[in-house]
Amino acid sequence: MKKLLIICGTGIATSTVVKGKVEEWLKENNLTQDVKIYQSKVSDEINRIDEYDIVLSTTLVPDNIKDRVIDGIPLLTGIGIDPMFEKVLAEIKR
Amino acid sequence: MEIEKELVAIELEIDSKESVLAFLGSRLLEKAYVKEGFVESVLKREETFPTGLPTIPFGIAIPHTDGDMVNESKIAFATLKNPVKFLAMGQSGELIDIKVVFMLALKEPAAQLATLQKLVGLFQNPETVSKLAAITSAEELNDLINIKA
Repeated sequence: MKKLLIICGTGIATSTVVKGKVEEWLKENNLTQDVKIYQSKVSDEINRIDEYDIVLSTTLVPDNIKDRVIDGIPLLTGIGIDPMFEKVLAEIKR
Repeated sequence: MEIEKELVAIELEIDSKESVLAFLGSRLLEKAYVKEGFVESVLKREETFPTGLPTIPFGIAIPHTDGDMVNESKIAFATLKNPVKFLAMGQSGELIDIKVVFMLALKEPAAQLATLQKLVGLFQNPETVSKLAAITSAEELNDLINIKA
């Protein structure tokens, strides 16, 4: 099972919405059994980002972890959702 | 969640992000839905974690802060006569013209997930974003939020 972390600025509103969207998507694609979702705020996770297989963020992250993070803003704006989920799927299948 | 009439401002004539946040925050504070310091806390958070979303055809901002500044979960809403600049969420320094503001005063966001999901659902469709920007009453706003699941 892959560990998917969802982070936003304070771990409140935005990551809650993103989590809901990701859960729906996992369900639609029969992936619920493959992924465990964690929700948090960016400052709590910076130092242990390697504990997760996939990281979705709606906030800016420090440069040193940038490469590990997938931009979750499309889930809020509706713009670029498909390519974003393709990236997530690639990480799940990796 | 129904958005209260007193928390809805239509075609607000205001010239900065700070003024919008202070205006909506004071409405929430008047009814004691939030604690003293809520606006300052939202402003501070907005600096570090901005909430402007580049929705189409108008930008929407969803300013909010920690639940411990909130007494009772509420949402305040404003449309702006002239757009004001908010920083974009998740970007560095990019500014967005914001026409619609949802100020989220949420004690426990998870409990408001259904409402948040509905709002974000509206943001993803240019047609409903336009409708949001053209809202003329609290009733119309609530109809729109509740119809589009």
